[in-house]
Amino acid sequence: MVLALGLVYAWLQVVRRSELEKLALNQAVKVRTTPAPRGIIFDRNGNRLVDNRRALHLVIQQEDLPKDPAQIEALATAMEQDADQVKRRIQTARALGTKRSLIIQDNLDEAGLARAENLRARFPFLSIEVAPRRVYQGDELAAHLLGYVGEVNQQLMMNEPGRFQLGEIVGRTGFEAARNDLLKGQDGQRKSLVDHLGREVALFGLQEASPGESVYLTVDSGLQKIMMDAFGEERGAAVVLDLRDGGILAMYSSPSFDPNAFLGHMSQEDVDKYVRNPTQPMLNRATQGLYPPGSTYKLVVALCALEKGIITPDSVFTCHGKKTFYGREFRCDGVHGTVNLIQAIAHSCDVYFYELGSRLDVDDIHATAAKYGLTELTQVDLPHELPSRIPSRAWKAKYGKKNEKKWYAGETISVAIGQGQNGLTPISLARFYAMLGSKGKVLTPHLLYGSRDEASQLKLTPPPKPRDMGLDPRIWAALDEGLYEVVHAGTARESALPGVTMCGKTGTSQVTTFVDKAHYRTLAKQFRDNSLFAGYAPRENPQIAWAVVVENAGTGASAAAPIARKLNQYWFIDRLKKPLPPPGGKLPDAYEEGADEESDAAPAVAAPVASSAPVAKAPAPKADVPRERQGERQK
Amino acid sequence: MSKTPRTLDPVILGVVLLLTALGTLTLYSAGRDTPHHALWIRQSVWNGLGILALVVVSRTDHRRLTTGSLPIYVLGLLSLLVVLIIGHTVAGSKSWLSLGGISLQPSEFVKWFALLFVAHRLGTKPPDALTGWDLAGAAGLVLFPMILVLKQPDLGVAMTYTPIFLLLPLLRGIRWKWVAFGVLSFTLIATVAWKYKLKTYQKERVLTFIDPSRDLKGKGYQVHQSRIAIGAGGILGKGYMSGSQTQLNFLPVKTTDFVFSVWAEERGFVGILLALALFGVLLHRILTIAGEASTATGTYFCAGAAGIFGLHILINIGMVSGAVPTTGIPLPFFTYGGSSTLAFFLALGVIMNIQHQSRLK
Repeated sequence: MVLALGLVYAWLQVVRRSELEKLALNQAVKVRTTPAPRGIIFDRNGNRLVDNRRALHLVIQQEDLPKDPAQIEALATAMEQDADQVKRRIQTARALGTKRSLIIQDNLDEAGLARAENLRARFPFLSIEVAPRRVYQGDELAAHLLGYVGEVNQQLMMNEPGRFQLGEIVGRTGFEAARNDLLKGQDGQRKSLVDHLGREVALFGLQEASPGESVYLTVDSGLQKIMMDAFGEERGAAVVLDLRDGGILAMYSSPSFDPNAFLGHMSQEDVDKYVRNPTQPMLNRATQGLYPPGSTYKLVVALCALEKGIITPDSVFTCHGKKTFYGREFRCDGVHGTVNLIQAIAHSCDVYFYELGSRLDVDDIHATAAKYGLTELTQVDLPHELPSRIPSRAWKAKYGKKNEKKWYAGETISVAIGQGQNGLTPISLARFYAMLGSKGKVLTPHLLYGSRDEASQLKLTPPPKPRDMGLDPRIWAALDEGLYEVVHAGTARESALPGVTMCGKTGTSQVTTFVDKAHYRTLAKQFRDNSLFAGYAPRENPQIAWAVVVENAGTGASAAAPIARKLNQYWFIDRLKKPLPPPGGKLPDAYEEGADEESDAAPAVAAPVASSAPVAKAPAPKADVPRERQGERQK
Repeated sequence: MSKTPRTLDPVILGVVLLLTALGTLTLYSAGRDTPHHALWIRQSVWNGLGILALVVVSRTDHRRLTTGSLPIYVLGLLSLLVVLIIGHTVAGSKSWLSLGGISLQPSEFVKWFALLFVAHRLGTKPPDALTGWDLAGAAGLVLFPMILVLKQPDLGVAMTYTPIFLLLPLLRGIRWKWVAFGVLSFTLIATVAWKYKLKTYQKERVLTFIDPSRDLKGKGYQVHQSRIAIGAGGILGKGYMSGSQTQLNFLPVKTTDFVFSVWAEERGFVGILLALALFGVLLHRILTIAGEASTATGTYFCAGAAGIFGLHILINIGMVSGAVPTTGIPLPFFTYGGSSTLAFFLALGVIMNIQHQSRLK
C-alpha cells in the first residue's frame, strides 16, 4: 500500500517533474505589457491638436467574468443594456482569454462614476479602471488629417503579421495611422509574481514604457479653423500648401467628423451621423475625392501647348461663343472675341482651349501632367491617398468600357477644358499650383514638421526634397500673368483682396447636362456645378498655394474663390496682427471646450494601464470616389 | 529485578511526535499570510491535549474501557443523533457540535467507540464460537452510526468506518464466496447509491476523478493544482515556505485536505519517502501490537485501528496526488482538525495500553 503511494509520487515528482514545474511557473509568473502613452500632436505653433487624458472605465477583470446567467441579466437590466449582447461580450472575453479587462461602460463622467459605484455595490465583480484616452481638440476641426486611434483589428493584424499585438491601440486613420510608428512609443513590460486571483505579490522585472514622440504638424490651426468656418454646411475640400517646403498649412474636408466619437463604443447616433451618412463624412475628400478640375485644368493644357511650341503667349484665337470641331458644337460661357493666352486664362475662354485641344494629342497633355506630378500620388503622409485620373490613350484602352477602348480626337477637346474623364484630388491640384507658384518645383505635401521625444528638444524633420522641373521662365511669366489677371480683372475679380496679389484660376465643373441657364437654375442642389479655385499668393514672392473645391455650389467664382480670399485674408493679414500663442498652449478661441478638461502636461504622466475599448465598427477609409461627376459642355 | 514495562511505546511515540512536529511546521507554512495564519497554534493546543489524553489513556487498563464500551457506544450514537438535530453545518455537512466555544465533530470519535464496542463484543467469545449472527450483529453495530454520518452528509468520514468491516472476514478466514458476496453487494449498493442516494456534488467528485480535466475550474481544479504542487516539488523539494503553489494560494484548502501537497512541494520526493516511511513504521508497529495482544479484544482493536489509520493515510495521500477520488478525509498528524487529532491520540493511547498489558504477562 505504502509502496503504491510511493510509486504515484515518484511518477509525479521524478518522471513528470519538469512538466508540472513549468505549469507552476506559468501560473505564478505573469508578464503584462504596460501600453506606452502615445505622443501628443501639436500644430506648427505648438497648439495642442491631440492630447492624452486619463479616463475611467467600468470594467470586468478577466478573472472576475461572471458565469451565472441570472447575474448577467440583472446587470444588463441595471445598465439598461441588451442582456443577450452583454452575455455574448462576456463569453467572447472569456473565450479570448486575454489579460485585458472587458469594458462595460467607457469614459465615465462624474454622474457615470456615481452610477458605476452603485452598480459595484450590487455586482462585486465590476471594477473601475484608469486608462489613457486620446482627446482630439476642436472636435471636427482636423478630423481627416489627424485620424483617430482604436484597438488593432483583425485586418491590420493579418496585413502585417508580427507588427501588432492583440489588443494594442493603434492609429486607425489619418496621421495617427500614417505615423503610428512615431507616435506609439515602446510598450513597457511588468514581470511579476501573482497569486491565484491574479493579484500582484512581487515585482521582479520592470521595463518602463517609453512614451511615443510628440509630433509637430505643419498645420496652422488658425487657418484650419478659417477653412472649417468657411465651408460651413457646404461639402468639399481645401488644401493649403507652404511653398517653401510643401508643408500642409491646412487641409479640410467637409463634412467632417468628430474623432472623439470613435474612441469608445460608438453610439448609434454617431454611427448614423458619420458612418452611414450618404454624404460620407469619413471620406477625406482632399486626398480621396476625385473631382473634374474644370477650367483649373486649362493651365496644364496651356503649359503643354507652350512647351510644345504650338502657341506663344501672344497667339490669338477668336471666340464667337461656340465652335464646331469634328462635327460637334462646343460652347463657351461668353463671346470673348479675339483673345491671347493671358486674356483666355483671365476670362476662362473655352474656345481658346478648344483650339489648343484640337492641336494637341491627349497623350501630349498627359505627358505634361505626368511631368509636373499630376499622374502620381503626392506621397502625402496620410493613408489611402488616391491617384488623380488623367486620361490618355493607354488609360482608355485599359479602363474604358467594352467597345469604348479607342480614343476620339473629340474627347481631347473636352479634356482641354478640364471636363471629360479628368479626375483630380484637391491635394494634387494644390500641388500643381504650388509648382506654378514656385516656378517649376514639384513639392511633396507633408504634415510632419518636427518631433520631440521625452528628453530631447524639438527636432525638425527635413522636408522632402522638391523636384525642380526647370520651367522655362518665359512660359512661367505668361502663366503667372494670366493667373494674376484672373483675380485682378477676370473671373475671380470679386474675390480680389486689397494688399495681397492673389494669382489663381477658377473652375466650374459640370455635374450634369442642362438645356440652358433657366433650366440650370431649376436643378436640385446635387446637380449643380462643382466650384473650384486654385492658385498661389502673393504674386511678388509666392508663399502659399491652395486648391479649394466646393461641391454643387455653382461657379468657381461664386463659392470657391471667396473661400480662397478668406484664407489669404487670414494668412497674410489677420494672422500677423495676432501675437503667436505661447508654445505648448491650448488652441485659440473656439476650442476652450478642451481647455477645461484635465489633460496631462507630458505624455509620460499618462497612466500606464490598459487602454480603451475596441472601436465599434470603425470603417476602413473607403477607397471610393464621391459620386462620379462628369458632363461636358456640348450641345 | 524486573522493571515494570513502560506504558508509552517509544517507537510509536517517537514516530508520532516526529510526524506531529512536521505536520505543525507544514501547517504554519501553509497558513502564512492567509486568514488561517494562527491555525498552527490552535493545532498545537489540540496536539498538546491529544498527547495528554494519550498518556492518561495509556495508563488506564483498556479492559476497563472495553467493559464500559456499551455506554460509550450508546453515548456516541446519541451524539450523532443530536448533531443531526442541532449541529451546525460546515462545507455542506451538518456534522459539528458547539460545546462552550469549541466545535467538535462527534463522527470522528464515534468510529473509535464503534471499533471498541465491536472488538469487545467479538473478543468476549472465543474465535471458534463466533457465529455468522455475531458477525452480522457486529456489522450492524458499525452500519448504524455510519448511516447517521451519511445523513449529515459526510461521505468522507463515513468511509473511514469501513475498515471495521474488514475485521469480520479476517476472523473467519478469507472465503471466496464471502469475497464474491462482498463484491456483488458493493456493486449493487454502489449502483443503487449512484442512482438514488448520492448527492450531485458526490457524483461530480467521482466523475471528476475519472476525468480530472472535466472540471478544471471546479473540483478538478483542486487536484490539478495539487498535482502541480507535488510535481513542482521534484526530488528535493522547493524548501520550507518556498513553494509557489502554496505561498501564492494556487493550492486550495491547503490547511486541511491538501496539506500533504504543501509537504510534497516543500520537501520533494525525499520528504514523501520520509513521511511514508514514518506512516509505514506506525502501521507496522500497530499490527505487531495486534499480534502480541494478550486479549482477543486487544487484537481486534489494534487490527481495526491499523485499518482506520491506513485508510486515512491511503485515501488522503492518494487523493492529493489524484490517485483516488477527492474526499475530505484528514491525514493523521498533518491535517488541521481538533476532533480527529484528539481521536487519533486517544486510539493510540488505547493501543499503547494494550501493548503494555501484553508485556505485563
